[in-house]
Amino acid sequence: MAKNQEVKAASKGFNWKSLTKAEQSVIAIGAVAFILGIWGLYTRLFVGEREVGYGSYVVWGLWVSMYLFLAGVATGSYMIAVLEYLFNVPMFKGTGKAALWAGLVTMPAALASIGMDLGHMDRIVNVYLRPNFMSLLAQMVWGYTLFLLVVIVTLWFAFKRPSGAFFKVVLWIGFFMAIFLSGGVGALLGVNASRPYWSVGLLSVQFPIFAFASGVSLMLIVVGWFMHFNDEEQRYHLFRWLGWVAIALSLAKIYILWAYLSQAWYSQVPDVMVPFNEIIFGEYWWSFWIIQIAIGTVIPLVLHMIPKLAHNKFWAGAIGVMVLVGFAAARANIVFPAMSVEMLDGLPTAFFGPHLNIRYFPSVLEWSVTLGVIGGAILAFVLGAEFLAVFNKPKTEVK
Amino acid sequence: MAQEPKDVLVRMHEDLQRALEKAPEDRRWVMVIDLRKCVGCHACTIACVAENKLPPGVVYRPVLEQERGTYPNVSRSFVPRPCMQCDNPPCTPVCPVTATYKNAEGIVVVDYEQCIGCRACLVACPYGARTSDFGYTYTEDLPVLEGAIVGRETSDDYEVAANYEYGKEWSRANHGSPIGNARKCHFCLHRIHEGELPACVSTCIGRATLYGDANDPDSVVAELINLPNVIRLKEELGTEPRVYYLV
Repeated sequence: MAKNQEVKAASKGFNWKSLTKAEQSVIAIGAVAFILGIWGLYTRLFVGEREVGYGSYVVWGLWVSMYLFLAGVATGSYMIAVLEYLFNVPMFKGTGKAALWAGLVTMPAALASIGMDLGHMDRIVNVYLRPNFMSLLAQMVWGYTLFLLVVIVTLWFAFKRPSGAFFKVVLWIGFFMAIFLSGGVGALLGVNASRPYWSVGLLSVQFPIFAFASGVSLMLIVVGWFMHFNDEEQRYHLFRWLGWVAIALSLAKIYILWAYLSQAWYSQVPDVMVPFNEIIFGEYWWSFWIIQIAIGTVIPLVLHMIPKLAHNKFWAGAIGVMVLVGFAAARANIVFPAMSVEMLDGLPTAFFGPHLNIRYFPSVLEWSVTLGVIGGAILAFVLGAEFLAVFNKPKTEVK
Repeated sequence: MAQEPKDVLVRMHEDLQRALEKAPEDRRWVMVIDLRKCVGCHACTIACVAENKLPPGVVYRPVLEQERGTYPNVSRSFVPRPCMQCDNPPCTPVCPVTATYKNAEGIVVVDYEQCIGCRACLVACPYGARTSDFGYTYTEDLPVLEGAIVGRETSDDYEVAANYEYGKEWSRANHGSPIGNARKCHFCLHRIHEGELPACVSTCIGRATLYGDANDPDSVVAELINLPNVIRLKEELGTEPRVYYLV
């Protein structure tokens, strides 16, 4: 009796020693990131927005990019969860709760990131009280709010009534919302006809694919570093399946990128060529070639081809991290360069003042806030997963 | 003996009085900028900054300087760029809270108290006509010199006092609006409603900026906007700007 109580108490509470080395390491990384972010979060919330690198010409910066990225991870995680609960894929049995929890953590992180970008974040309630539904931004705010509720309800069902018919209905709703909301963030940019680099159909179409790829990458981390399986064969099968899907999605990603950039290149339209040159040869070349292409695409693709590494727990998680970092850079490479175009010839030099230029690099404040948001999300994910026991740890290990 | 023609400023004042007698929805405010007369003095920019008490980083009417050709065949032109007050403005439908919209007179306005500062309108504007107010003041770096006639405590009086855009009092104290908002040219609506021309029009030393009601066939602007040498910026976008350039 006493022993049972001890196990029960340990499984509900937090015990550093009960954590695996991977969990401890990731918590430490998350904590360091969060501590580095405290200054930025404090400054942004209580001092203001002055120390940012973006402005009136490069209007959106790192925080908007991270919003696009984290929202993609959230919706992609939901897409992964439906594989267990809606489509009953046996291989994914036991992974759904972790995926849903990831979605529930990353979506608020995405909203925190975009919230920091608002000049009057205290007025966000206006979007609920006086919405303009012609605006995609308003649609997104409402969509994400409803999506968050759907994720909470889904998670509740996953814990309490996983076999109920209503659960399937909720999952279908959440699945469609995940697809449309992930595409919606692309449309948020694409509707701006004044920005020819964004205003192409390909932009919003690629976002649900990238969101699913983000979900797959996150699952590689979860399965590789955190998840416990009674049968290690299941982990092996998951590595194989996730690996093949990741390869397919990487190839799709390369094709879409080629289609997008080659279309820009062959058009030779100046408003499109300026961002194109910025990405390929200009200020953001390292972000594109080193982070997005090498670290985010080519190296993971090569590692996936080496079974010894692809099926190794550490390396599988590392591949997931690399792909996610690549996606974060990809979002930035979509957002920043498109705004380095002079809207009218001579505009950037017509009047001088703070935040009136077309060169952009995130400021220390922006990096700090981003570290804080991501660090907070990492801590919330791992600690919350421990609390909710979504990594399926055997109780004997908890002792 | 032929009557001496009226100064165009006098004519525009008379046009303005006639327009203000009409219902707001019957007026069609337009601006005509004669690029052949603009000398690039930037007086309009400065008048606008003074009238609307614009802080550093916020500008409603910059003058773009454009150079063309190579020596000896070169030319230089100056293009003042106020808000185009488009009849199909791309900036208004993207606003998530309807804080920016075309008012009854067709002027694109910003409700500072409703705006959440998302800057979606800045992204959408094809003319770069909106800027964000990050809360700076020109005098903030001046030293505090107690008892001196110069120094921040006396020189910032002007900046600390409220401005009166849209006919309301906007104090910059406590980081309230318009700090954190999108800001833009509004054709000096607060002056118009008092029977005064926009600050940039009154200040233009070459009478290059003209203003009035295009629905009034006797107005100066109505005579000009259908001339063959009139252009509008980025007309191919279908935004239907209300700012016309004589070239």
